[in-house]
This record gives sequence, C-alpha cells and structure tokens, in this order.
Amino acid sequence: MEGRPSEPDGFRDFVEARSNALLRSGWLLTGDWPSAEDLVQTALAAAWPRWDSLTRQDAPELYVRKIMVNTYLRWRRRRWNGEVATGRLPELQAYGDVFAQVDARQALIAALDRLPARQRAVVVLRYFADQTESQTAAAMGCSVGTVKSHASKALARLRDAPGLAELMAGGVAS
Amino acid sequence: MNTEERQLAEMLRRVAPEPTRRVTVEDVAFRLANQAAGTGHRRHREPRAQRGSWGRGWAPVLAAAGVIVVAGASAGIATALTSHRPPASSSIGGASPSASVSTSASSPAPSQVPTSVSPSWPPERVASGMWGAELINRDTFNQDSLTSGDGSLYATGDGNLARIDPANGNVLASVSYGASAAGPPVPGAPVVTGSTVWVPSEYAGTSVVLHGYNARTLAQVASVTVPVTGQVSATASGVLTAGPDGDLYVAAGSSVAVVNPSTRQVIKQISVSAGPVSSLAVSPDGSKLYVSTGPFQLLTYNRATGAQLGGQAIADLTTTAGNLVATSGGVWGTTGVGMTESAWFAPDADLTRMVRLGTGAGAGLGSIPAFSGGVVWIGGSHTLECASPVTGQVLKSVTIPTDGGVVEYFGSVTVMAGRAYAYYQDQRAQQAGVATLTPPSSCSG
Repeated sequence: MEGRPSEPDGFRDFVEARSNALLRSGWLLTGDWPSAEDLVQTALAAAWPRWDSLTRQDAPELYVRKIMVNTYLRWRRRRWNGEVATGRLPELQAYGDVFAQVDARQALIAALDRLPARQRAVVVLRYFADQTESQTAAAMGCSVGTVKSHASKALARLRDAPGLAELMAGGVAS
Repeated sequence: MNTEERQLAEMLRRVAPEPTRRVTVEDVAFRLANQAAGTGHRRHREPRAQRGSWGRGWAPVLAAAGVIVVAGASAGIATALTSHRPPASSSIGGASPSASVSTSASSPAPSQVPTSVSPSWPPERVASGMWGAELINRDTFNQDSLTSGDGSLYATGDGNLARIDPANGNVLASVSYGASAAGPPVPGAPVVTGSTVWVPSEYAGTSVVLHGYNARTLAQVASVTVPVTGQVSATASGVLTAGPDGDLYVAAGSSVAVVNPSTRQVIKQISVSAGPVSSLAVSPDGSKLYVSTGPFQLLTYNRATGAQLGGQAIADLTTTAGNLVATSGGVWGTTGVGMTESAWFAPDADLTRMVRLGTGAGAGLGSIPAFSGGVVWIGGSHTLECASPVTGQVLKSVTIPTDGGVVEYFGSVTVMAGRAYAYYQDQRAQQAGVATLTPPSSCSG
C-alpha cells in the first residue's frame, strides 16, 4: 500500500490488547462508535511513527490517550460528529433489556454532553480510564490543579443530569 | 477517590458498551497510507461509486452494522450510529484523476510558495438539482470554512488552506498553515483582507497566532502573535473577522485583539470581563463589536472606545453561541449542539427578541449563518434559507432532499460575482466539496 510504513515491533500487540478500552473511551468522549473509531485510529496513526520512542519511554498508552483527547477537543469546535441521520428508524435487534441498555447509554451520553469538552475529557480519563490526576494532567496538557477543578465542576454538573443518579446507584448493565 | 467518584467510575465502566468491532493495525495502516498519499487537505480521489478513505468528516460507512438506535430525535428523524470500516483496499490511483498538492501536511517553512494541481472534474448535479446545485469540487473541507475574496474561493480542512477556482472548482493552491493533529482547530472561515488571506494558525490555551497568506500564491506573508488574556475558549467558533476598515478582530481569551493587517501589529485589546470569547462580529458600520461568551452571553461593545454598551444572557441554553454574524438589523449566530443546534437572529442584538431560523442540521453538522451577497444564508441538512439582513425575515427557503433517506448538507454559502457557492456533503455517497447554487432572485439581496 502506498505510503505505508513498516509496522513497529509491539504495535500490533498493543492495538489488539488496548483497542477495546480505547474505543470505549472514545465512545464516552464522542458519544458514537464511528467517531470513537476515528478518534482511536487517529491517535494510533500518530503513535505509529513514534512507536519505538514511546515504548522506550514506557508511555505508548499515555501518548495515545493524549492524542485522543487533544483530537477530541479539536473536533468539538466544529465538524462531523459521526452520527448518521436517516429518514428511517433502524430496526431494533431485541427488546426488553436492550431498551433499558439503550436508555442507560442515552442517559449517560446526554449527561456527558452537558459537560464542556475539557471536563468531559477529565471524566473519561480520570474515572473511566483510571488515569491518575497527574497522568490526566499530562494527557491534557494542564496542571493537576486544573484537572481537580475540571473534575469537581464535572461532578457538580453530572449530579443534576436527569437519570444519572439512578445509573450511578446501580442500573442496567451493558 | 471519594464515594461519588467511585460510583461514577463504576457506572462508566458498566454502562459504556463494548464495541462491536475493534480497531485493527490494518485500519491504522490504511489511514497512515492515505495520509502519506493525501498531502494537503483531504482529497476525494474516487468517483461516487468507489468509496475510499475519508477524513473525519466521512468516517462512518453506512455499510457497517448499526449499533445503537436513538429513536424519537427531536427533528423527527432517527439517528443511527454505525461502525466505521475502511475499504479493503485503497482506491488511490484507481479510476480517479490523479491529484497532487506540493505542500506537506506538516508545518510548512515560512514563505513557502505552494503549487498545486487539482484534478478537473465535470460538474455534477447534486441534491436533485435543488437551486441548480452542481458539485464543482470534491475536496473535504471544514464545513464552516468556505469564503470568497480577491476573485477566489478559500476553505480550510485538516490544517490546510486551499484557494479554489470559482469557475471550475479546481484547487489552485494549498498550504499547510501549521495546525497539527494534537493542535488547534481553525474555528471559522479564513478572512480575506485585500490581497491577504488570514487564518488562525494556532488557537489553543494561551496561544493565538494568525498567519497571513498571499491571496494568489498562498505564500506566507505574515505571522502575528496575538496576546491572549487568560485562555482562549475551548468551544470557540468564528473567532476571526474583519471590520469595515479592514482591521482584523480576533477572540483572544477574555479579550478581543484588533490587528492592523498592513502593519501586522496588534493595535488594541478590548477586555471582555464575562470570560473567554467564543465568537465575535463587527457591525457593518463599524461602530459596534459583538462578542459571545459561554454559557451563552451576547455582549455589545463600542468598537472605538472598547466600552461595553450592553449584554444579555440566555438562561435556558447552556452551550456557547458561536459563528456570530452582524448585519444592519442585528446579530446572528448558532447555539446548541448536535440535533439541537440551530441558527438564530437577535434584532438589534436583543436576545429577548431572538428568533430561531432554519431547521438546524443535526448529524454533527452545523447550521451556520453566513452574510454574503446582501443576504444572510442559513444552511443545514434540512433546509437552506436566505434571510433579510435587516429584519431577519426568511426570504426564501428550500428543502434539502435526502439521498436515499440520508441527509445532504449545504452550508457556508458565499456569493461572488453573482454566483453562489456552498459547501456540500452527502454522507450516503460519501461525497463532499464545493457546489454552485442558483438561488431564486429573492435571495439576491
């Protein structure tokens, strides 16, 4: 394939091992799978040429998450969100619990949509990706104090999000 | 972590669904190969029937399986979230015309003179010929970036500024203005003053840098570092504009910087106490400066003295107001996100009299007002409208058809030499580019 560089050692293992978690982070950031995939692909494509250096620093995932967050923040200004609007309602695959799961996911995304981009990024990095405050700060290019501030404000906003308290108290599993 | 934080963490992990497919090394390799081949802005290399790689704007491929269904969308349409699956092989060099852009996707050397050869495509009727729509260019740009000046069209996409021939849509020149994947966006359209095209090369945190490019060659002719008060808005859109005297106005955190494009000096800094400026506009007579901050406040300043003349907030909206446009009758902008994003008009900048315009865009697209050719254009994926710049009254509206049930989009309308141009997207066909329009005479201003 034109322009394709050689695959760095360990890159495939990383992608296979971490793609799932990265995609879920991407989904929480963007609210949809196409954008999540695009986000992860963008970050991995940026990491590929630097892979050897990143692995020497033992920081490939930190770097990938950093690119994901920065790319997400850039996208949030304006452009495509990856939703496909159609004039038809796609068929649901199942009933019952599926509806509840969809409801839960919708409630979660709606709650996250209430957050400014940087607060949302902190929530995803800090609470979903289980990054420390300093790792989150490094990924976002800000201070630990700023991360704390974003987290505090995000939590305050999420408290008021409809349906989220019930989800946090325990709800429908994915 | 405290209890609440632990509950949040647990809930996120429980509710966030498992992806239906994983990103593979082949996906990434495909993207890398395409980036390497596609210097300059993302370029559509394949005819309509052959779907190739797309940038962010075209990540979703409808052939992929739907994953989540969001029913009952406010706009009366459903939103299907689909998976992205790149094609099995690149169609670069296939049946499509060859294309080359000389500039690198990475930061260019200052004053680099780009040369570019764009493929010639025959105009293609799109959107069922709505308002005579014909696609004359097949490049993916930022949806809010098409503008005109000095006899050319200009647009940005993926860190590149392109000059487009209005006669045939060919990209005459393209240059990377320095934005990187991890860097800032260009929130809004380039601004043409005289023979220079200005674009924010850096716009993030405490850094704002404007680059000026020769309107013909796109050789870089200026770089202006703008002092920022605090940090720039993280949700800015429409941060650079020109006043009637030709001065540039740029949102610079909690202030607006005024730049003389001739001397390339910052000549004034107007403080905005309400916080980081999301967008700005200058009244046609040059007397007033309008700025928006988020959550949505619209503030009016005396452009000459910098004194605040008024300010209003909208209580029921939590998102920022962007893409401000000022006309003699008032201020226009957008607010909301996603399916709720819509354009509005506030007569005399009075938000208590604010009216919504158009039917929004949805699907991640913006319904962005543009003032060109004597009228204000409101694009979107449902309707395209022209409105009176004095009263805000919609003069003409046309329904944008769907392509097999999938929305098509027109936005960023600009008028030059009696001809209207818009940025067009058709998700189903994975088609994007600059289209010409022949609006009715009532839209002629």
